[in-house]
Amino acid sequence: MTPGDDEARIRAALAEAHREDRTPSFDSVWTASERARPGHRPTRRWLVLSAALAAAIAAGVWVVARPRPATGWHPTGTRWIGPTDFLLETPDLVTLHTLPPLDPGADPLVTPPPARRGLP
Amino acid sequence: MAPPDLEQQIAALHPASFAWALACTRWNAAEAEEVLQSVYLSILEGRSRFDGRSTFKTWLFSVVRNVAARARRRHWLAARGLWRFGAGSEPDPDPHTSLASRQRSDRVRRALGQLPARQREVLDLVFFHEMSVEDAASVMGVGLGTARTHYHRGKLRLLELLGPEELR
Repeated sequence: MTPGDDEARIRAALAEAHREDRTPSFDSVWTASERARPGHRPTRRWLVLSAALAAAIAAGVWVVARPRPATGWHPTGTRWIGPTDFLLETPDLVTLHTLPPLDPGADPLVTPPPARRGLP
Repeated sequence: MAPPDLEQQIAALHPASFAWALACTRWNAAEAEEVLQSVYLSILEGRSRFDGRSTFKTWLFSVVRNVAARARRRHWLAARGLWRFGAGSEPDPDPHTSLASRQRSDRVRRALGQLPARQREVLDLVFFHEMSVEDAASVMGVGLGTARTHYHRGKLRLLELLGPEELR
């Protein structure tokens, strides 16, 4: 058997292997590829945009209309003292609630000092 | 949108591209169609561009081969090695094709399926798609010497697998 015969046999074998190929139409494959492009999915894109818009509107409505906690209201008449609040107190701390009385004679602004004598 | 001439070139090569995709997917028709779709998508999106360094057919076939290799890896991971030759995707038999013809075709495909991928690919490119070994090397992304080695080994192995009486 010559090399040419061998090659003819292989060529025939490959042709035989491809005899059953049933090629799908070009249009169907090409169209499917075009539809799969991200920028060419109008329905899906509109769905995503609509959902995003609806979510934004819902968030806005919630922010505006949500129940707010009442401000400026504090419970009166009661004061809860925790069992460990004493730990926060500083020992021997004196808090000044009023101005301490001052001696007017000691105030240099009120009584000017006497003029000193015997000095040049 | 792809330029019309590009679309026309692809359309003209569509049957050959599908045949090549079949060879790359071991005649899994569904997978071959999926591969071709991915190839066209990659061209439409500009991820694969023809740079004129080879013929258009050589370039297109190399894209098909690369996409098929990626799909094969993905399927392998999905099936964890349970994939077999043509498993699960055998096309419905064509009623117009005789049983004997189908059996002969299946026998040849099985023989081809036993070859290592590169040997099978180079034989398909050279003997079915009428490419030179050099172009086949370019499609396969290997050196010319490597392609020649696969070509000679593949021929010998396929002849051995086909036996003396097959296709004479």
